[in-house]
Amino acid sequence: MQSTLWYMMLLGLGFAANAAADERSERDFFETRIRPVLVAQCYECHSGTAPKLQGGLRLDSRDAIRAGGHSGPAVVPGKTGDSLLLSALRHEAFEMPPGKKLSPSVVADFERWIQRGAVDPRDQPGQHSAADEIRLAASHHWAFQPIADPAPPNATGAGETALSPIDRFLLERLEAAGLSLSPPADRARWLRRAHLDLLGLPPSPEAVAEFLADQRPDALERCLDRLLASPVYGERWGRHWLDVARYADNKGYVFFEEQRFPWAWTYRDYVIRAFNDDLPLDRFVLEQLAADQLRLGDDQRPLAALGFLTLGPRFMNNAHDILDDRIDVVTRGLLGLTVTCARCHDHKYDPVSQADYYALYGVMRSSVEPLPPPEFLPAPDTDAYREFQAGMRERVEKLRQFISSQREQLVAGVRGRVAEYLLAVHEKRLHPETEEFMLITDKGALNPAMIHRWEVYLNRARRDGDPIWTAWHAFAEIDDGKWSEQAGQVAARLLANADADVQPIHPLVRQAFRDSPPASMNDVTRIYAQLLAGVQREWEQAVERAAASGTAATRLEDDDRESLRQVLYGPHSPASLPRELSWGFLDLLPDRPSQGEFKQLLQEVEKWSSQQPGAPPRAMVLADAETPYEPVIFLRGNPNREGPPVARGYPAFFAASGPARFQHGSGRLELAQRIIAPDNPLTARVLVNRVWMHHFGRGLVETTSDFGLRSEPPSHPELLDWLASYFRRSGWSIKQLHRVIMTSAAYRQSAAEEGAAWERARGVDPENRLLWAFPRRRLDFEAMRDSLLAVAGQLQSMQGGPPESLLDGFVPRRTVYGFVDRMDPPGLARAFDFPDPAASSPQRERTTVPAQALFFLNHPFVSQCAQHLLSRSDVAGLTTDEQRLQRIYQILYARPPDDHELALARQYLSGSGTPGADGASAAAATSDPAATTPDRWLDYVQGLLMTNEFLFVD
Amino acid sequence: MTFHVARSVSEGESANDGSHQPLSRRALLRRCGMGLGMVGLAGILGRDELPAARGETVSAARGALAPKAPHFAPRAQRVVHLFMNGGPSQVDTFDYKPLLEKYHGQPMPAGNLRTERLTGGLMQSPFKFRQYGESGLWASELFEKTAAHIDHLAVIRSMQAEVPNHEPSLMLMNCGHGRLPRPSCGAWITYGLGSENQNLPGFVVMCPGGYPIVATRNWRSAFLPGAYQGTYVDTKHTQIDQLIANIRNQRLSAAEQRRQLDLVRALNERHLQQRGLDAALESRIESFELAYRMQGEAAEAFEIQHEPAAIQQLYGSGTHGRQLLITRRLLERGVRFVQVWSGAGQPWDNHDNLEKNHRQLAQEWDQPIAALLTDLKQRGMLESTLVLWGGEFGRTPVAERPALNGRDHNHYGFTCWLAGGGVRGGYAHGATDEFGFRAVEQPTPVHDLHATLLHLLGLDHERLTYRYAGRDFRLTDVAGNVIREVLA
Repeated sequence: MQSTLWYMMLLGLGFAANAAADERSERDFFETRIRPVLVAQCYECHSGTAPKLQGGLRLDSRDAIRAGGHSGPAVVPGKTGDSLLLSALRHEAFEMPPGKKLSPSVVADFERWIQRGAVDPRDQPGQHSAADEIRLAASHHWAFQPIADPAPPNATGAGETALSPIDRFLLERLEAAGLSLSPPADRARWLRRAHLDLLGLPPSPEAVAEFLADQRPDALERCLDRLLASPVYGERWGRHWLDVARYADNKGYVFFEEQRFPWAWTYRDYVIRAFNDDLPLDRFVLEQLAADQLRLGDDQRPLAALGFLTLGPRFMNNAHDILDDRIDVVTRGLLGLTVTCARCHDHKYDPVSQADYYALYGVMRSSVEPLPPPEFLPAPDTDAYREFQAGMRERVEKLRQFISSQREQLVAGVRGRVAEYLLAVHEKRLHPETEEFMLITDKGALNPAMIHRWEVYLNRARRDGDPIWTAWHAFAEIDDGKWSEQAGQVAARLLANADADVQPIHPLVRQAFRDSPPASMNDVTRIYAQLLAGVQREWEQAVERAAASGTAATRLEDDDRESLRQVLYGPHSPASLPRELSWGFLDLLPDRPSQGEFKQLLQEVEKWSSQQPGAPPRAMVLADAETPYEPVIFLRGNPNREGPPVARGYPAFFAASGPARFQHGSGRLELAQRIIAPDNPLTARVLVNRVWMHHFGRGLVETTSDFGLRSEPPSHPELLDWLASYFRRSGWSIKQLHRVIMTSAAYRQSAAEEGAAWERARGVDPENRLLWAFPRRRLDFEAMRDSLLAVAGQLQSMQGGPPESLLDGFVPRRTVYGFVDRMDPPGLARAFDFPDPAASSPQRERTTVPAQALFFLNHPFVSQCAQHLLSRSDVAGLTTDEQRLQRIYQILYARPPDDHELALARQYLSGSGTPGADGASAAAATSDPAATTPDRWLDYVQGLLMTNEFLFVD
Repeated sequence: MTFHVARSVSEGESANDGSHQPLSRRALLRRCGMGLGMVGLAGILGRDELPAARGETVSAARGALAPKAPHFAPRAQRVVHLFMNGGPSQVDTFDYKPLLEKYHGQPMPAGNLRTERLTGGLMQSPFKFRQYGESGLWASELFEKTAAHIDHLAVIRSMQAEVPNHEPSLMLMNCGHGRLPRPSCGAWITYGLGSENQNLPGFVVMCPGGYPIVATRNWRSAFLPGAYQGTYVDTKHTQIDQLIANIRNQRLSAAEQRRQLDLVRALNERHLQQRGLDAALESRIESFELAYRMQGEAAEAFEIQHEPAAIQQLYGSGTHGRQLLITRRLLERGVRFVQVWSGAGQPWDNHDNLEKNHRQLAQEWDQPIAALLTDLKQRGMLESTLVLWGGEFGRTPVAERPALNGRDHNHYGFTCWLAGGGVRGGYAHGATDEFGFRAVEQPTPVHDLHATLLHLLGLDHERLTYRYAGRDFRLTDVAGNVIREVLA
């Protein structure tokens, strides 16, 4: 789309089209190429909204940008040499943005813009608010436009290569740069590449032989079908998704409960199965967000999909952080939007407001986790299961009873100790402002979480001008030392009530204060307490009377008394606790004895349900809360400071085609539907980009979880759109996507080698963004470990089930089944760039550090694999060294050894020196007598396992 | 020569920009006209297939741990953080409050502050205080040997954390945020500066007998590449192969292993030759050479028995003496950040029996800390080494109920101290109220401490950023001011 625009403008230049069209296209150019960069890169320091304007320079209006700052005009139309902005972007006179240089194409855009007169429609300084500016820029941002279905361009220099649409898009750019695709890789190498890509394992020698022998024209397609049908495929690609889903088998640090998630693995197995079944990815998304709200029929297994939301870190049970993590995994993981940036303030770069954040917060907060989570397999008809069920019921019942009795006590406490709570709230104002923290109290002491609930309630009453509490707030403002002198005035003003300026005061409250004027805050709280206690007594009697006559009391007759009753019984009362074990419930148990009891009862349930023989697996589901939570904005992200209410819904900017507000329950299902809707511009792009990344090492958009205004645009925007369209046309099938990618000439081409053509390409495009060769890359941690086990002939084929500890001793299970410890991610895995499961991971880093080499050199696992490889029957059974070497090379590298390699091997095995490949002798051990070892074969094979050829795919 | 090549590669690179030109080892060799194996490995190690840092991927690419230039001239090159986990009491160590004696047993006149648990009246310190050095700063007998160095210490008496709970306070002190997953201080610093010795980890964490509370979260790299995570060493052990993972081969002699490695290198070189320039392949080849040398050097760094007897005696024979002597050896060898903990769990968390427990803990620490300061000084290293002492918070001047012989957690005001590179010695910064409960003069949030640490290392805390999830993150989040007063 952008390059089309370019052509349009070049054409416009050539044919001297009329001035109006010119002006329009210049404005478009500004809107699409200039404004977004200014907003995203410069406004932070150079606009009316900058907290501290830098260099006296504003860039947010035409006049300002031309007037410039302390150093002179930033932009002089038509004069690139005089425009300091350009010089700053080039890092000449200044270096802007600080510490980072924008890409040459962006700088070129600015150059062009200034050359052509710097058309700038921004008339007035400060004409737009920051949010408007962002929305304007966003309305032109590539990722937020509808997904186009561009026709693949005609590529000229195609030659003999069979071209797929993908190749045409790539070649267009390559040819413009004077480059082309590399020649196809040899077939064995393609096969090794395909195996490692799709299965995370190298091909067996038999698979190689079979493939090389298959001369049919569709041999490639057949091979892909075979690989995609393998159940091992899901273990590989499921793991990629688990990175996004920040999968772990435990919660991170928590105080009360079991640290493990006993059933996280049911989510992991769900994901593996979904990939193996080629579950359409839109359905996959839907199930992960709202499986509980779908009509699943007999097969309840998709319930496990909800682990996507629930198995995140637990932040010591801080509800707001848990919900934040869920918003994050949904928005970054599926939409490429960094919505959680808007938790404390509107997003600085993207069109996401704080209201949008709390609209989603409302969705997440209205979704609770049932305890215990449900089973999802058909109940087995066995005695073991029935026995288990009986025990389970008993334990759950005990826990429920405890919770409900605690709840009753808490509620009674709120109603019965009004004066104490009010006073506690009042005293709190003297304390230094601090975050809420975990408190430990004596049993029977005031409950700190309840004090907090009262505080929130009173703040809300003040905000809403609740007449019941006008008096309270008026008296509360008097300084302690000034009671005697001011209380009279305050009381008089309150009681007069004739003055129109005075906030209305509840008649019964006015009466109470008229009867006994307070002399201190103690008196004020006592008066309120008595008033409320009177109403409470009355209500209790009404309830009894109604019960005696077989009816139920619904309210007090007198309106004034009824409104007071609402303080203790209404839906917003501090006493109104949810019935479920819901958000924040644990905070309500601050004394050690209750905590201890709770912990014990909970553990009984958790232990029984996860460890008892006959215990079925469970799905870590969410369910909509009885009453949905009505979100308000938390000012600066602080839950103690409530701002305006918002409706649960979809981020407004992105909801253009329908109402943003959700209608049903938590709104989770509607959220999911919005995300997979045909007109959602993000989801399909984000998903195909992730798939592309795993095939080619990096995404067309490099920041795979951030498609916002500050992200680098895709290297091939049309290709991304074509892929997204193709993906949706083919029913969101990821396997179909693999096929179309992996049969392209781009995927089949060779990786870069030594040679003039490659040398030239390296000079033109050193990062290989244009894909002039297949990007060679190192195996990730799982593929490395699994490949070692596979060539050792040890890899177990058992699939699914609870996680195992893989790093102690020799445990030959696939790495995806290892216990993922969020509390203490194993150093070894981290050293190999396994992501920290603290948050959704967009892509893996690729670092090279000595800890990795130390693993290969010294960890017994590697030499054990070498030992096992040597004991494989197809190796150990061979009689000559030559045969063995041939076989081992086939197993490891999918090729035979050449003469030089055979010579090296013989030399090594015979115990003599090891000449280097280029003739330079690696001197160290040539004639060391200690170098003779009975295990030379073992050392040799371990050496082969360390080689780059084994660890890289090319 | 080696060093020179390494620096020339890294100089002028800001930590997180995208303007890198891939420079292969081969290209370097050509440029320098040198033979294989002689080139500065430091600049190459870790240089990887993705040459540029972009957005979320940001570059571990070039030399994850290669030394990088700071933002401005540093006052210190390296850091040792002595972490008194559990929370040492400020009013029993470096924040002398004579009024506690007078009001012993009485309630706080201005009303008690709410902390984690229920507390009673004020409790006097069971320890004797006196003035030390020319500066005349006060310290208790618990740290009398350390206090002999008081003229080199900047004592910050007005530290504040956010909550009186261990977990969030540990995370805050280490990672700058109480709950959300953020990289630790040591990770940020090694990310910003790399390390001076590629044969050792850049960020080493020692804690005898197991992990402190919240375990490895304390030295996590979070969204920074795994290479910046602290390397944990259980200093309960004394044998090298129990101290560092995979540091020794159980099967092969050094010569046998060298021979094996020569084979691997021959195969890799050949493989590389066929494939032309490829920084990822090259750096992996180098990483094996480094790992091989590391086996020797790392082991050697931990072998304190090589130290002269007088030095060993200076540090004493206890665990902390051993830890700090290892620390000095690591710092000497170019390790960037060493964090040393008191022990597993939370040893300083003396809710009761404070007198006995604090006395014992301090006794274990005092001599080694004094020894470390003396030793660094006599080697001319103190002026380029930053020493930080402190816990995650302090303790209440009031006694905890019901035993009334210990103190609760206190985040309202506590003490930590700095010494060494660029630090103004003999200076006390800020003050708590007359009982030592709450910081009232120049209150110092943890972010300010972090900003100051970075500043002393030549890093601007607002410029040391990492793009992740659409945001430029930093250690100090959106806060932090350098405490100018503690700078020498």
